[in-house]
Amino acid sequence: MAHLGRTKWGEFLAGCRDEAPLQLGVLPFGMLYGIGALAAGMPAWLAQLASAIVFAGAAQLVIVQMLTAAAGALPIGLTASLLNLRHVLYSASVADYVRHLPRRWRLLLAYLLTDEAYAVAILRYQSTRPDVSDGRPAPAGDLGHWYFLGCGFTLWACWQLSTAAGLLFGATIPPEWDIDFAVPLTFIALLTLLLRERAGQAAALVAALGALAFAALPYKLGLVAAILLGLVAGVWASRRGERAVQDGKEVDR
Amino acid sequence: MSTPALIGLLLAVGIVTYLYRYSMIGLFASRNLPGWLHALCRHIAPASFAALTASALFVHGGEVSIALDAPKPWAALIAALVAWRTRSVLATIGAGMAALYLFKFLL
Repeated sequence: MAHLGRTKWGEFLAGCRDEAPLQLGVLPFGMLYGIGALAAGMPAWLAQLASAIVFAGAAQLVIVQMLTAAAGALPIGLTASLLNLRHVLYSASVADYVRHLPRRWRLLLAYLLTDEAYAVAILRYQSTRPDVSDGRPAPAGDLGHWYFLGCGFTLWACWQLSTAAGLLFGATIPPEWDIDFAVPLTFIALLTLLLRERAGQAAALVAALGALAFAALPYKLGLVAAILLGLVAGVWASRRGERAVQDGKEVDR
Repeated sequence: MSTPALIGLLLAVGIVTYLYRYSMIGLFASRNLPGWLHALCRHIAPASFAALTASALFVHGGEVSIALDAPKPWAALIAALVAWRTRSVLATIGAGMAALYLFKFLL
């Protein structure tokens, strides 16, 4: 990542530039969300507003899918909140780099702290301030937050525009085309990308079986129960895997 | 769901998500998160997507129905194969939708 310049705008534009290539991946998800939201019966204005309020692609697709399945507000809220829990990890990861900033900057950057913006911004922070964990203050004239802002702004703008494009496009698709099926298809695609390790496979399998076992629970609360059971299975399998690795090392010795 | 209820739901999810994002850079001083939180977060997405997909394919009106002549599970199977081979989200959606139309025509 070459430095465009040592000015605020230079850093901001460098953030925009480095974030831009990721938008090729973001765009289809935003459109899919917009199309799916209309098919799930969301008013278009609210679907667009949700992209600003929630601003988290996976959670928004999950909300759409659960609305399609006629789930109640409580299970949808619980599932989406659980899915977004990972942002606490991102928040902890960037904390040392932004703690010296005024509160208004931290409030703004927190809003923009999404998967894709985090991924680009943290790389830059790690390369420019590798010794941050020593508790040293930020170097004078540190402009890393402008770079972060550029990343976040680019993603935010692309997310809003791709949502709008999906809403416009979705309005032209007749309901008998079953376009809402594209959302579970997306989950299938993401699952194949995510399921590289045993523990994740255990979590997914148990959650899928749980969704069938608890199907009769009202308001689709069975989905929440199934996901929680899947998490228990996943964490259990991770621990077992770690122990197996440790045992293996002992055998090696 | 009524529109006011949906607005309330989205606001609630938005506020919770924002608090997550702001938590460690504005609310709490400790940066050392427990290891189990990392392990948990790794599994949340696979568990959620799997539960929702299984439900979309096999649950109708609160009842489980596994029928050989239902087009969606077969289309999902084709999509899963394409996803596994190509690792492309767009190819998966394209193949899955095409398979759905085909199976709806055939079955």
